[in-house]
Amino acid sequence: MDNRRQEVMTRLNRVFQEVFDDDTLQIQDDTTSKDIEEWDSVEHIALVIATEKAFGIRLNAAEVGRLQNVGAMVDLLLARTV
Amino acid sequence: MKSMDLYRESLAGIKNLIQAGESRSAFDELIRLLDPEVDFAVHHRMAKLFSTLPGNDLDLKPLRVAVVATSTMDHLLPVLRLYLAAAGFDVTLFNAEFNTLHQTVLDPGSELYAFGPEIIWLATHFRDSGLDTLPGATNAAIETAIAESVSRFRDLWQALRTHTSAIILQNNADTPTERIFGNFEGCILWGRANLLRRFNLELAQEARAHHVQLIDLDHLSAQFGRRAWHDAPYWHHSKHAFAPDASGLVARSVAGVIRACKGLSKKCLVLDLDNTLWGGVIGDDGLEGIQLGNGSAAGEAFLAWQHYLKGLNERGIILTVCSKNEEDNAKIPFQEHPEMVLKLTDIAVFVANWHNKADNIRAIAETLELGLDSFVFLDDNPAERELVRRNLPMVTVPELPNDPALYVGTLDLLGCFETTSFSSEDLARGQMYRENAARKLTSQHFTNLEDFLRDLRMVSVYGALNSLTRARASQLILKSNQFHLTTTRYAEKELEAMMNAPGYLCRYYRLEDRFGDNGLISVVILRHDQQTLLVDTWVMSCRVLARGMEEFIRNDMVKQAQVLGCTRLTGWYRPTKKNQLVARLYERLGFECLEECDGATFWQLVVDSTTSPSPVFIEAVEE
Repeated sequence: MDNRRQEVMTRLNRVFQEVFDDDTLQIQDDTTSKDIEEWDSVEHIALVIATEKAFGIRLNAAEVGRLQNVGAMVDLLLARTV
Repeated sequence: MKSMDLYRESLAGIKNLIQAGESRSAFDELIRLLDPEVDFAVHHRMAKLFSTLPGNDLDLKPLRVAVVATSTMDHLLPVLRLYLAAAGFDVTLFNAEFNTLHQTVLDPGSELYAFGPEIIWLATHFRDSGLDTLPGATNAAIETAIAESVSRFRDLWQALRTHTSAIILQNNADTPTERIFGNFEGCILWGRANLLRRFNLELAQEARAHHVQLIDLDHLSAQFGRRAWHDAPYWHHSKHAFAPDASGLVARSVAGVIRACKGLSKKCLVLDLDNTLWGGVIGDDGLEGIQLGNGSAAGEAFLAWQHYLKGLNERGIILTVCSKNEEDNAKIPFQEHPEMVLKLTDIAVFVANWHNKADNIRAIAETLELGLDSFVFLDDNPAERELVRRNLPMVTVPELPNDPALYVGTLDLLGCFETTSFSSEDLARGQMYRENAARKLTSQHFTNLEDFLRDLRMVSVYGALNSLTRARASQLILKSNQFHLTTTRYAEKELEAMMNAPGYLCRYYRLEDRFGDNGLISVVILRHDQQTLLVDTWVMSCRVLARGMEEFIRNDMVKQAQVLGCTRLTGWYRPTKKNQLVARLYERLGFECLEECDGATFWQLVVDSTTSPSPVFIEAVEE
């Protein structure tokens, strides 16, 4: 994994830890809502809001719909944060 | 907007408290951090921490609240639950299925009624008015459209009334920012903005007539900033009617109205005086020296602040004073300052003394026969705020910003004086309480001061006066009136001479605590003559009074006497109009009175190698 991807992953991991209030949480590319018990539609919105804030970007409706797993989120963040 | 970076540490601390089983402390800390100007991510996290607290430890009143909304509310409800807990309620929430307003309300068999709510919040927004620009419409057509729209809401309230006795809360319309006609929209009655404004007025009138409480969403959107409030992406992708970051503002506002419905709004303000009602210290600066009134920015800010407080008083909020001051001094601005807005007749109970403020506030509550949970305490001094918070957790103690110009906004945003009605009795309330308060104040001292002092984590850096500290020391000697034993006034030059003269010891004392550095707060000049060490001058800032600094300085003077081989430490108290505060200081520190002469008293403490220090909770760092 290249450095930028690793860095985005680390920042995103912190967002996950804070949204789900679990300091031990470790996300991977293939982590999905099935792997995190609390990850329902309400938490998904909280996750989107926290991610937007942490990375200083706004996501459009299509992008929000595509965020089913962590790998897709990282790809999107890499594309949006130059 | 304040974000997670500011809160990470505090939230981790709260989590630790929860894990240690200290629910009450964790809860108090959470409530203290609550701030509607914090973003959604922090609110979400705080709500989550709150949800892990065992509710039965917190002594909250159960309350059933139903939310019937036409937008997504799932994210807001945990935050609302937290704000309602801050208002004293343990809330069970019911969230009607998304966008089923009419079905839910009109069906007597709906889950809403089965839930048995005490409060029903119809959380609508501007789209629910069904009003949009009516190009060229006549006034009659406009009136009809608005009346029809309002009647749909009235029908809902009437249906609710048929099936439940719950209190009804109704949002008004949060006017959007975009304008098809630009500024012209402001001057056409058929434009959307003006239609919605008119709708809001009609809705308000109808709500009053039907005893429905209005949530002024239009005001909240303006307070938050309308353009950010109407967040199009969130509306389109998840049907959030307002920006998630406004959650705290909305939740606090709704919680405030619910608290008012339950008769639990705050009723009484306790005000400090120096640097809270005016700039400066009346005891030291005098009537001409305090900042109040037109002519200076600070003076005008205090003036505007007093006008706001006067407004609260006129609508029935009780004002009281609790100040560390001589009572006569403290009253002078009220009686003699030409620009003072608040008068003594506006103050129901006036307490100016040197006791600790927690005890004084208890006494004020007893005098007024009001519960402490209806009190708000305002003081510019963080140590006083902390003392009151620690001893009287039921009293609301907001942080006050450094700039007095921000006082009005701070208190206003707190929204703790919500009301659901206004009557002629409210107008007369202040006077009624003032009359009832005629009973003498009791001043018992049952607050645990020692714990408080220990917790302040005070450190005093002190030592012999030097060229770096000389200017400030002279300023303190020239300026202090209240804590000044001998009325001496030494300019910097004279002070410098004494610093170099044999037989003189010039000492300074600084004080830091966990709220910050109070700076150089005391100066002592000692004159050494054979077996005697005489206190020529002793001044101290009243800001740090009664925290053990007096004892700390006594201990240092005793030590200086011991080092010099003196057998006695002596000092005069020379009374002035302003220094009554220290008339019995030497007595309190274990000195005995040897003589009295024209009101002045002369005191002595016998010193030998066994003279023991007075107990203090201040760490000593000698320079």
